[in-house]
Amino acid sequence: MKDIFVLMEHRRGEMRDVSVEMLCGAAKLGGTVVAVLLGKDVDAFAEKAAGYADKVLYVNDPLFENYNSEAYQKALSALIKEHGPGLLLIGNTAQGVDLAPALAVELGASLVTDITALEMDGDKPKPTRTFYGGKLDAHFAMKDADLYILTVREATFTAEEPSKSGEIVKVDNPVTEDISYRKFVEYVEPEVGEVDITQSAMLVGVGRGIREDKNLPVVEELAQALGADLAASRAVVDAGWLPADRQVGISGKTVKPKLYLAVGISGAFQHVTGMKGSEVIVAINKDPDAPIFGIADYGIVDDLFKVVPKLTEKIKELKGA
Amino acid sequence: MCAEEIGFVEKYDLLGCIQCGRCTGGCPVALRTDLRVRCFMYDTQNEERLEELSEKPEIWDCTTCYTCAARCPKGLEPLEVLIGLRSLQIEEGRVQPTVRDALESIFKDGNPWGSPRAKRLDWTADLEVEALEPEAEETTDVLLFVCCTDAYDPRVMKVAQALVKVLKAAGVDFGLIGEEESCCGSEVRRLGEEGLFEMCDEENVELLNSFNVNRIVTVSPHCYNTLKKEYHGLKHPVLHYTELVAELLEEGKLQLSKEIAKVITYHDPCFLGKQNGIYDEPRYIITRIPGVEFREFDRCRERSLCCEGGGGKMWVESESKAERLAEIRVEDAKEMGAEVIAVACPFCLLTLEDATKVKGVEEEMRVADILELLAEAL
Repeated sequence: MKDIFVLMEHRRGEMRDVSVEMLCGAAKLGGTVVAVLLGKDVDAFAEKAAGYADKVLYVNDPLFENYNSEAYQKALSALIKEHGPGLLLIGNTAQGVDLAPALAVELGASLVTDITALEMDGDKPKPTRTFYGGKLDAHFAMKDADLYILTVREATFTAEEPSKSGEIVKVDNPVTEDISYRKFVEYVEPEVGEVDITQSAMLVGVGRGIREDKNLPVVEELAQALGADLAASRAVVDAGWLPADRQVGISGKTVKPKLYLAVGISGAFQHVTGMKGSEVIVAINKDPDAPIFGIADYGIVDDLFKVVPKLTEKIKELKGA
Repeated sequence: MCAEEIGFVEKYDLLGCIQCGRCTGGCPVALRTDLRVRCFMYDTQNEERLEELSEKPEIWDCTTCYTCAARCPKGLEPLEVLIGLRSLQIEEGRVQPTVRDALESIFKDGNPWGSPRAKRLDWTADLEVEALEPEAEETTDVLLFVCCTDAYDPRVMKVAQALVKVLKAAGVDFGLIGEEESCCGSEVRRLGEEGLFEMCDEENVELLNSFNVNRIVTVSPHCYNTLKKEYHGLKHPVLHYTELVAELLEEGKLQLSKEIAKVITYHDPCFLGKQNGIYDEPRYIITRIPGVEFREFDRCRERSLCCEGGGGKMWVESESKAERLAEIRVEDAKEMGAEVIAVACPFCLLTLEDATKVKGVEEEMRVADILELLAEAL
């Protein structure tokens, strides 16, 4: 069986979990597992990878200080041509999905992206990926090729304790051409609290019923216990208690989470229009005539400051059990 | 010559602009956003810059309140230039999702709220109102044209319901269009979707002309303005409900017996006041309610401060984080000791009521349509 290459991904001094997961998964497939590490002075990562791999190919060069698709593609392509592995695993991350297709085209490799399970048929992988938001699994028969490339979704394999002590082979940078036409410029941090609520599976919507922004933690704690994101009515955003990207409604975002928990939201039409498509709507409001109860699947008529802390406690209890 | 062939300079008479700045000087949203409409009057004279100008986010800040046009000494309409720039964006399909959904919903279901046509009459509940038959032999006095917002928004529904109660109390012979009723297209035109507005114009005029009625009465000033001034070939006269109700009170057909002992002020909707000169009727009606103590805003009538509900602003948020005009309005009302802000427009009702919540005065300050007060005073 040919060797299995696993690309180590790291960013800003941290190795990504998916890299170790892939090494552990690859170890179960049979064959020699080779960790490929491109970086600048990342000896610690090389040593960590050696704990999971039979061999580590380590290229230490300033060119790899930050991810650069051009540099990575050229280096990997040279290493692959030299060592002839049969399978290359790359994390299905922003970097991985940028790199894998270009590399596959260049090398004439067979590629499946975003896999969630993997079996082998000799040297040939039989990967699985999901469709329709996880409702359907598709099993792939890959086209015959000398090299198969897969991008692997996080948590497809489980990270285990290190059990190997692979040899660390330092390799000269195979990229000799000038690639200064593609440069790393800077990392831009997303603003804190920037969440795309249209993608959230669960939302806790906050309305003026919380009265003051200093009461926000009561609801935040509930959201945290649930694993939900916070959304807001327009009035709450106008009052400056939550940023505008949390606003649900006619002039804000339209959301369709699996659960929308409306806390202290009366249910103004402008808000309801933006969340009525949610799968399950639960409302907590002290006013039994609040229009939100007209569209809620479940309703609690009571003071939110009595209900929410109890609810949070109960959820924590259930989750802890 | 078709409309597309006329350039901005000619279409909006841009060379007539003397750059005096009265438009920007009076513009209510200039208080809180980057919009400077005078600059657009100048910059759009260079047709090569139109595309670039249409990409500026502040063109979506305009509420089309008409203050700029009302103040222009040359009789120009600066707001129309902004609507023209919006049209360029709409033609390219570059439009915010919220606006796209509203326009699509009007095209599909005849309302901007994403609600089905079959629910158009839900607001009538158990009120027993009749939908009129087209081409009926007998003439009905009044056809009620109910705004989409009154028909679908549970809060604003109460206003339409109050109107029915008032008309019944006064013995007015009236009827509704029924489920066939569609959006007037006022906001459609102001969002720059000219094609869809033409469709609203044609289809509604044909529908409205098919009814044998003396006059059409609208609930919203936005519908009123559109039907009265922007439609082509409508054969019935159009009234806003405040005109009809003032007439009913004057003729003694409507009797108000219950007292509302409150300090009430009145917020002039731009589409009723500035754009159509209806200032006296609403005040006449409010002051006929027994027990009312009426107070004026400092900024009233021609100088009334826009609530920011018009011009498609129900679907577009400004980038500005400054206080909304509606909030300023609520503060002004509070300062003068008003307990109720009376309005005569569904958008004003929603924006001002929201502002009372933001200001945390929703318990002590009521925002109500004149019709709701009337229904309580019957």
